[in-house]
Amino acid sequence: MTHRAKMILAFLAAAAIGHVGLVLFMPHFLMNVAMDRVSQDGKLINQFAFGSRTTQNSRTVVRPSPDLAYATCVYDLSDGPLLIEAAPSPEQGYVSLSVFAANTDNIAVFDTSQSPDGIRFVLAKEGQATPTGVKVVISPSSRGIVLDRRLAPNAELFAAADQARRSDKCQKLT
Amino acid sequence: MADTTKTSPWVFAATISIGLIVGLLSGWWSITRGLGGESYSGWYGSRVTGSADAGPWLRARVAISGLLALDKSQAIYFTRKTDDAGEPLREECSYRVNGGALPGQWWSVTVYAADNYLPLNDDDALAFDATEVSPDASGQWNAMLAPVRPEGSPWASTRNAGNFDITLRIYQPSAQAQADFATITMPKVTKMNCGGKA
Repeated sequence: MTHRAKMILAFLAAAAIGHVGLVLFMPHFLMNVAMDRVSQDGKLINQFAFGSRTTQNSRTVVRPSPDLAYATCVYDLSDGPLLIEAAPSPEQGYVSLSVFAANTDNIAVFDTSQSPDGIRFVLAKEGQATPTGVKVVISPSSRGIVLDRRLAPNAELFAAADQARRSDKCQKLT
Repeated sequence: MADTTKTSPWVFAATISIGLIVGLLSGWWSITRGLGGESYSGWYGSRVTGSADAGPWLRARVAISGLLALDKSQAIYFTRKTDDAGEPLREECSYRVNGGALPGQWWSVTVYAADNYLPLNDDDALAFDATEVSPDASGQWNAMLAPVRPEGSPWASTRNAGNFDITLRIYQPSAQAQADFATITMPKVTKMNCGGKA
């Protein structure tokens, strides 16, 4: 191989590493930033944090929806599975619980049209013991985010959704 | 004849460094250019947003511009940065958004500034939704995107939005809409005037 060919090869290899590395790195990096913000730098792990009504000053996550009330649980499955529950909103207003892995993938989603009496499941890692008779979601990562979204496009509906979501659970199995 | 030229370590390091920089820049460009996904009458949407089927490039794009997006069974998202004439959406202009019934339980249209956050204004009109519009006998509705509140029309405020984009969210979309976005009749976005001039 000629000197010039070796240098071109080195250049292309470095460019490929830089390109692919950035593309693979960004989702994990941004998810970690979001988890740090939502959990208040790790203070709120395995418990829901209840967001206030979305306004122009909402800056935790990009492109927030002003139509929805958000509650967020940063999960850590290192010490075992978690029980996740969401109570329905009044008058069967839209509620969904979605689970995101550390690479941003939406690995599971449930809504109250499927479960009008509320959403309930166990979140675990592969290999962890889970109870029978309850839905189980397996996360490919130890950490991630569970997001409760409720339709709340005005102040009145937000207040009702906020009251309902206060009984949400994101806690260790007992 | 063998090439016996020896490479200076500095030249080699510079080659690697430049290669890395070029790779990083091309990676950044690939995940930030455009809106990604497919175009439907000027609106861009992706069937795999939020799902584990998203490839690395789309996953990175979504992480930057729509972290924690729902998958298509819950919501489908369409975004556009231009009006129907292909001109960028600008704060100083007013636009009419016109559409018909959309295939979901509920929908909304939200304005976002170029930084991917809501525009910094206190107009309490960051979006308009299915409950605010008044469809006529044929199911058609109108709303406005404008920097000042229009008379007698639902609106989303673009004040302090600069060059902005809008996102249409259709919640709990129909099975047909999930399967084929092309079946959705997308709302039109027509520029009405700029700075009060038609």
